[in-house]
This record gives sequence, C-alpha cells and structure tokens, in this order.
Amino acid sequence: MVRRHRFYLFLFVLLCADLFFVHRTFPQTHQISVADTVQNKLTLDHAAMCEDVKDNIPINQAVVFSIKIGKVSCFSMFDPVPEKTFIYHKWFHKDTPSTNRRLTLQPPRWATYSSIQLRETDKGPWRVEISDRHGNLLYILRFSITD
Amino acid sequence: MWNMLMSFFGSIRWQDIIDILLNSYILFRLYVLFRETYVFRVLTGLALLWIFQRIAVFLGLILTSWVLQGITAVAALIIIIVFRNEIRSVLQAKNLKAILWGFPQKSVPTTIQIIVDSVNALSRRHIGALIVLPAKEDLKDMVHSGIPLRGLVSKEMITSIFWGDNPVHDGAAIIEGDRIAEVGVILPLSHRSDLPSQYGTRHRAALGLAETTDALIVVVSEETGKVLVAKDSNIEEIHGNTAFIKILQEHMGVYEEENGYQQKEKLKISIAAIVSVFFITGMWFSFSKGLDTLITLEIPAEYTKRDPRFEIVDASVHTVRIDLAGSGALIKSVQPEQVQVKLDLGNAVIGQNIFSITQENITLPPGIFLRKVVPSVIEVTLDETIKKEIPVQIDWVGELPKGLILSEVFFDPEKIEVIGGKRILENLSTIYTEKVHLESMKTSGTMFANLALTPAALKIAPGSKDKIRIAYVIKPGIE
Repeated sequence: MVRRHRFYLFLFVLLCADLFFVHRTFPQTHQISVADTVQNKLTLDHAAMCEDVKDNIPINQAVVFSIKIGKVSCFSMFDPVPEKTFIYHKWFHKDTPSTNRRLTLQPPRWATYSSIQLRETDKGPWRVEISDRHGNLLYILRFSITD
Repeated sequence: MWNMLMSFFGSIRWQDIIDILLNSYILFRLYVLFRETYVFRVLTGLALLWIFQRIAVFLGLILTSWVLQGITAVAALIIIIVFRNEIRSVLQAKNLKAILWGFPQKSVPTTIQIIVDSVNALSRRHIGALIVLPAKEDLKDMVHSGIPLRGLVSKEMITSIFWGDNPVHDGAAIIEGDRIAEVGVILPLSHRSDLPSQYGTRHRAALGLAETTDALIVVVSEETGKVLVAKDSNIEEIHGNTAFIKILQEHMGVYEEENGYQQKEKLKISIAAIVSVFFITGMWFSFSKGLDTLITLEIPAEYTKRDPRFEIVDASVHTVRIDLAGSGALIKSVQPEQVQVKLDLGNAVIGQNIFSITQENITLPPGIFLRKVVPSVIEVTLDETIKKEIPVQIDWVGELPKGLILSEVFFDPEKIEVIGGKRILENLSTIYTEKVHLESMKTSGTMFANLALTPAALKIAPGSKDKIRIAYVIKPGIE
C-alpha cells in the first residue's frame, strides 16, 4: 500500500517537474528565435538590371538597354536569407504593371533573377519593384528600353 | 430642283408654321386696331427701318446695321411713350374679343343718309325744300338761275340752304354725287291739271322737272311737312325712312356703291392679312433659314471664377464645336479669337460638375448668330490641390554607340515636390524627364534635363528644382 503511494507520489512529482520545465523552455526558445530573426533579417545585398545572368553573376549591368538584345533581367542577391521564403519582382512599363514574378529564396544566402522578353512596344521607361513576401518594398530599379 | 424643294419643305417643323401664323395674326390685328391712326404710320416706318437693317446686315454694312438696329430699338420705345394715349384709347375702347377677333366698322355717313336726315329735319320744322338728284341726263337746258356752290353735302348745309331767311331758299338745290352743285335753281313747272289742290308751286316745279328729265326730285311741303318724291311723271308721298332710302338708292345706283365699299374694305383686310403673312414669313426666314452662310469653329472652353484651392483635373471635352450663321461678309470676317466660350466655376464643387453651354456662355461678334453647340454639356471634374514628393526617372531614347553601355546614372534631385489635384497625385508614382538622347554619349559626363509634367495641370512646387542634373557613367559592354 505504502509502495503504491510512493509510486503515485513519484509520478506526481515527475508530472509537476515536467510541467514546470516545459513552461520554462518554450519562452526561451521563442526569445532566441526572435533574436535570430532580428540578427538574420532578410536583406537585399545587391540588385541590378542586366543583360543576362550567368553563374549567378549579372552580365552588363546598366540603366539603358537596347531592344535589340531581346531580353533584360532583374538580378537580386539576398544575404542573409534566414529561412526559406519568396520575394516579388514587379515590372512596370510607364507606371503600368507589366508582370509580377514570385521568386523563391533559400537560406543562408540566395541570388535570383527574373527576365522579360523585349518587343518593339516595350520601348520607354521601366521600373522593377522588389518586395518581400508581405509586399514590403525593398528596392526600386529604374531603367529604359531604347532603340 | 424638286428634291431641293422637298428637302426645304421637309425641314420646316409644325412649330415653325404655328410660329409664322401666330405672329402674322398679331401683326394683322395690329393693323386692324391701329389702321388710320398715327401709330400705324409710325409702325409702318419702323417695319421699313427693320427691313433696311436686314438689308444692311445682308450686305455686310456693320455700322449701318448697328445704327439702324439702335434706331429701331429706341423707336419702339418712343412709340410706346409718345403714342401712349392713342394706344390706350384703342385698347381701352375695345373689349378682349374686339381686340382679338372683331373688325371695327367705320361709321361714315353716306350722301343718301345725309339727305334723308336733312329732309326729316326740314319736314319736322315744316321748312319747304326742293332737292334735285340728277341721273344721266344733263339738266342745264331745263333749269336756270342756279348759283354754283360745289360744297360737300352735309345736314347743316342742306338745312341752312332752305332756311326761311336764306335768299336761295325758294329755289331748288341740285346734288351731284356728294356735293351740292347749285342752289336757288328755278325748275320748270308742270302744267298738269290733275294734281291735288294742296300741291303748290314747289310740287309743280318738282313734277315739271321730273316729267322732262330722268332726275329725281325730293319735295318737303312747307304747309304739311310731308315728303314727296317726283320721278318721271309721278309724284308720291314717302312714308318712313326705309322706303325713302330705297328710292334714293335705286335712283343713285348706290347699291353697287355700298357693295363696292364693302368689297373695298374686304379687299383691304385681305391684302393686309396676306401682307402680314408674307412679312412675318420673311422675318422668320431672315432669322432662321435666311442665314444660309454657316461656319463651324472649334473653340477652347475657358473657365472663370475658379476657387484657387481647386484644380481642374478632367473635362469631358477641351474644345467646343460651334456652328455660326450670318451674312456671308460677316461670317468671312469672323476670327476664332472673337468667339469665346466661358464657363463660370464660381459654384463648382469638388468632384464632377455638369455645365450646359447656352447662348449666355458664348461671346459672338455683332451680326453673327449661334446655330448649334456640340457638345451642349461639359463635365468638369475638380479636385483639391495638394503637394506630393515624387521620384524622378530619366526617359532615355535613341541608341548608344555600339559596344558601350550606360552602366550607372546619378541625378539630382532624385525626387521633386509637385502641386496638383489630389486624385491625380495619389495615382502618380513617377515624374519623367523630357526625352534624353543617347546618340552623342560616348564618354561619362553630366547633363541637364527638363521635367515633362503630365498631365499639364501639374506644377512644380516653389523651391523644387525644375531641371535635373544627370551624371552618367559610360563603359564598354561585355560581348
């Protein structure tokens, strides 16, 4: 009978201990996570308009592109990337939305790009708005397509 | 020709016909009410002035048409003031039915009526009288001692001729037409023996002339006051005016004269009615159809009395198409600057405002008439004026020399403050420069570019730069 009581008491103590430690560890974990996010915030390291991207390197970064090259790319390099996420490249031709590309980023750092094929009607001023998954604007690249 | 006529008549609306008929009737009634008055003569003069004015407009005589127009306008006022008593007497003397519909009858006493009245007056006073009314035959050989008078027939004249103290009262008076030709005339006496005993010399004289001529002789007996008429070989007493008038009318052939007078009056009225219709039709054509020369102008709409806090951000149209009519010479001389379309924004509010374009909004040169405005309504959107800082972007055009790329650009200022309508600026994210050409850019350097503010209602805020300084880097591209 006494053994049985001791056993129940032991189980109760174990349960209390478990509950105590569980409630103590969760807030700590969250605090660490928040600290990590602040320190490792998704950061745009480099962005540029270019004629092409080879081996994650933008080729011929410029602000004016001839329509003859047939394609123009928006290169963006993020460092760090705390977690797998995605960003947007929103392309505007003369303030009119042209296309919106969703690009995935992988930790710890990631370079990605979007491109458009050029047509005769695409001449004029352009801009690409780079924004995070929540739509927060990170950077605006302005360029022109000319003859 | 037939088609032209058909299209012309086809273009006339029922309202036009009513318009012409109504005004024609008004003019006709004015004639009926005011004819043979001074007002009518002056109105006729006024109408002539108006016709001359229209001719002057047609010929392009600007000053003459202006002067005549002014005189016509002033004269209309003067007529009302000067002839107010005459107008009042005409209008007051008649009831509404007489003004709108009736025809005033002229009460002009005829010669027969005067003779009858005179004879009745003489008869009542027992004044003997002898009146000769010749027919076709000449009486010169049959009568003598007459004194020429040639006076108009009147009751007073006839009565005084046969008044007892008048030296010629014993003789006869010869009436020819509406005049007393001779008085104191001695007539041949009848020698008939079958005449009643009460017949005196006056009766015998009457019958004597009647027997020898076709004249009709009226006798008023001094003793009895009876009235007798001698014609041919008969002499008979007259009872009542009706019979007397009938005898006189038969003798003088006045039935035809009376009918002629009435016909003449009817003819006058008919001519007046026709002239009224023609005159009003002419006026109507002059105002509406007569102005055949047309011109169409595109006139920019101007806005006045705008609240300085508001901005016109949109308008359904910026120009208004105006069809103008007038004489050829005047139309040719019209310059677009002389025509203005002004809209008052004094009561306009933020948002959409609708304005109707009427004659009041359009300023035209003299002698030019508005026929049509397209559109007749303008929608104007007003907005509150605000300031906003907007990024600048260079609008590059052209082509760089081969092998070169424009790798970097720095410009100052990167943003400018713009003043404009709230609705426009809320949707505006970029201000572009004017086009910057690339052809001559072979090496790195700097340049300046103006801003291209679109829409034009936007303005650069005071203190903001209106020129952008551009520093650019040119380098060889990687093949």
